[in-house]
Amino acid sequence: MIEQAPVLIVVIPLIFAFITPLIGWGKKELCYPWIILALTLSTFCSVITLLTVINTGVIHYHLGGWLPPWGIEYVVDYLSAFVLVIVSFISLTVAVYSKKSVEQELPEKITYFYTIFLLQITGFLGIVVTGDLFNLFVFLEIASLAGYALIAVGEEGAPMASFRYVIMGTIGASFYLLGVGYLYMATGSLNMADLASLLPDLYGSRVVLVAFTFLIVGVAIKMALFPLHGWLPDAYEKAPSSVSALLAPLMTKVAAYVMIRIMFTVFRPYFSIEVFPITTTLSWIAAAAILYGALMALAQTDLKKMLVYILISEVGYLVLGIGLANKNGLTGTILHILNDAFMMVALFMIVGAIVYRCGTREISQFRNLHRKMPFTMAAFVIVGLSVVGIPPTCGFFSKWYLILGAIDASQWVLAGVLMLSSLLNAILFFRVIEYAYIEPRNEHDSGGESLVVTSEEAPLSMLIPIISVTAGVVLLGLVSGRIISTVIQFAVPACF
Amino acid sequence: MRILNLIVVVITGAILIYGTMDMPGWGNPGSPASLHVSPRYITKTLEETATPNMVTSVLADYRAYDTLGETVVIFTAGMACILLLRKRRNGHD
Amino acid sequence: MIDFIVSKYNYWIYIILMMIGFYAMIGKRNLIKKIIGMNIFQTAVILFYVSIGCKKGGTLPILEHAHGHAGQVIQASSYINPLPHVLMLTAIVVMVSTLGVAIAIVIMIYLKYNTLEEDEILKAIK
Repeated sequence: MIEQAPVLIVVIPLIFAFITPLIGWGKKELCYPWIILALTLSTFCSVITLLTVINTGVIHYHLGGWLPPWGIEYVVDYLSAFVLVIVSFISLTVAVYSKKSVEQELPEKITYFYTIFLLQITGFLGIVVTGDLFNLFVFLEIASLAGYALIAVGEEGAPMASFRYVIMGTIGASFYLLGVGYLYMATGSLNMADLASLLPDLYGSRVVLVAFTFLIVGVAIKMALFPLHGWLPDAYEKAPSSVSALLAPLMTKVAAYVMIRIMFTVFRPYFSIEVFPITTTLSWIAAAAILYGALMALAQTDLKKMLVYILISEVGYLVLGIGLANKNGLTGTILHILNDAFMMVALFMIVGAIVYRCGTREISQFRNLHRKMPFTMAAFVIVGLSVVGIPPTCGFFSKWYLILGAIDASQWVLAGVLMLSSLLNAILFFRVIEYAYIEPRNEHDSGGESLVVTSEEAPLSMLIPIISVTAGVVLLGLVSGRIISTVIQFAVPACF
Repeated sequence: MRILNLIVVVITGAILIYGTMDMPGWGNPGSPASLHVSPRYITKTLEETATPNMVTSVLADYRAYDTLGETVVIFTAGMACILLLRKRRNGHD
Repeated sequence: MIDFIVSKYNYWIYIILMMIGFYAMIGKRNLIKKIIGMNIFQTAVILFYVSIGCKKGGTLPILEHAHGHAGQVIQASSYINPLPHVLMLTAIVVMVSTLGVAIAIVIMIYLKYNTLEEDEILKAIK
């Protein structure tokens, strides 16, 4: 059982997804517990896998018993086990949360929605666990196709946003596939470890340089890195609440994981730092993404749209750490994959809960929201502090490592950008908090009215995930030293 | 705008063509793609999978997991079309 | 020089095809034209892969006289490389699925706005 765990992580949601429509045709209400069961089992397997990796080292699982590079292998090292646990746990949380919002937004499509929801998660998990470049493409496409469909069933304008995502996503996937083709042409292999041992002799080859460029650009499109982010704001804003809560934290993190894999596993780090110096460029692009996201967020009056632009800025943080390419920078990125997944899922779940209860996302309509939804807004404040980077919460620690990384690389401007973005985030969140918490002073006539606002907290199935993730945000901050010493320091590529 | 798109396309194409300069020639039996992994598929197919058709043996045996992924892609697309296009039975909004 | 062109021209043709599709995807304003461009792009990628598998002097990757000749020696150079074909079988399926989902989304858009021109749809949404 334990030696099968790496493959079960992916296969359990897959098999459950195949059965979901059958269950839905029988009784629609059973779909929800069914996917919770699937994701609980999958999370359990990924935790077991992480523990196995910590105890015994890297796991190689040969699918069908064929040895790599002939067959496909699953490789679970510290980094992928870590990301697996994040992906499966976050998707379990979102699945618990999704019940009410799906019943409200898509009452007649629950069965198919949950089927595709599970397939989406299967895609993410498959991307993370695989050790084969082409297999990664297949699962990337499963995740993308599911994403297109889930976004398209959102509110007014969602199909068009989704269509743009289809076009951009297909360009990204085709670029990735072309990159894999060029690599195959140059080496004759598709296995990541095999490529890593074959490629160093070919680093001068123009085929390999072009392959690397296309792989990175393809992944950057999927990740919505700044100049290629055009599809993201509309798509994630218009998607149903639980879909944004699933995609926003995970799609970007999984793509960041793929980028780390390509740059530092398939290619040796000295390739991307010295032979084909892309890391410096990447870190400046990332800095532009951070500032662009934060500034665009300032211009928004819609809370969800503001979060979407914050997400673009957070993608910048992830890439910044990759671009710095030193130990502290990468520690920061890998820690930020964890922290940002928690922060983003919490924020998008909170905005979903507000929409569920109040039917609005306009920040100016948030008067007295702290009376109406006290727990939700308290969670919002805590997560907001974490995004800004206030010490006891987890957001501080990843930013701290990123700043250390920038200082190690003597990139003072980048360190300055990180500080500046904290300031901008502070303005962003305090603006929302001000609307939600501070009573309007000049409107004396409405003063009596505001006292009779009844508490109308989000339903428990939404509140429990929100509160537990918020608790997680604080807790991860407290134990982040331990996380770094047990997992992340081994997840950073060995030569740093 | 049209010019900008054209420039992007031309640059992408130029980079791709730049990459082909170092490629092995078309149909070269000595290219790495033909020498590294694939000879085993060709020479061992009968011995290891008892299938004379190598495409079948790779598709359904050596790399069968990709094929599972392929069927999942089709399943996803089918479910996506149902999710997107299915109408409520009694009337529409 | 001629040898160089002869050994590379097929790749260049596929790249030109890809770029035609790519331009249609990002440059055209009509949704169906974008989808057609997407299809051209993906088909060109598939052709590119298939051409990797080619070997001069190689035949179809199916063993001749397979059964009853267990002891025969099989030369790798006499059959073309089967792996790119297998990969492209998967990629074709991915392409068809993407096409299906894209068209389903376009049908949704058309039912709602009664047009397939991007500018008119964006105007209708605003």
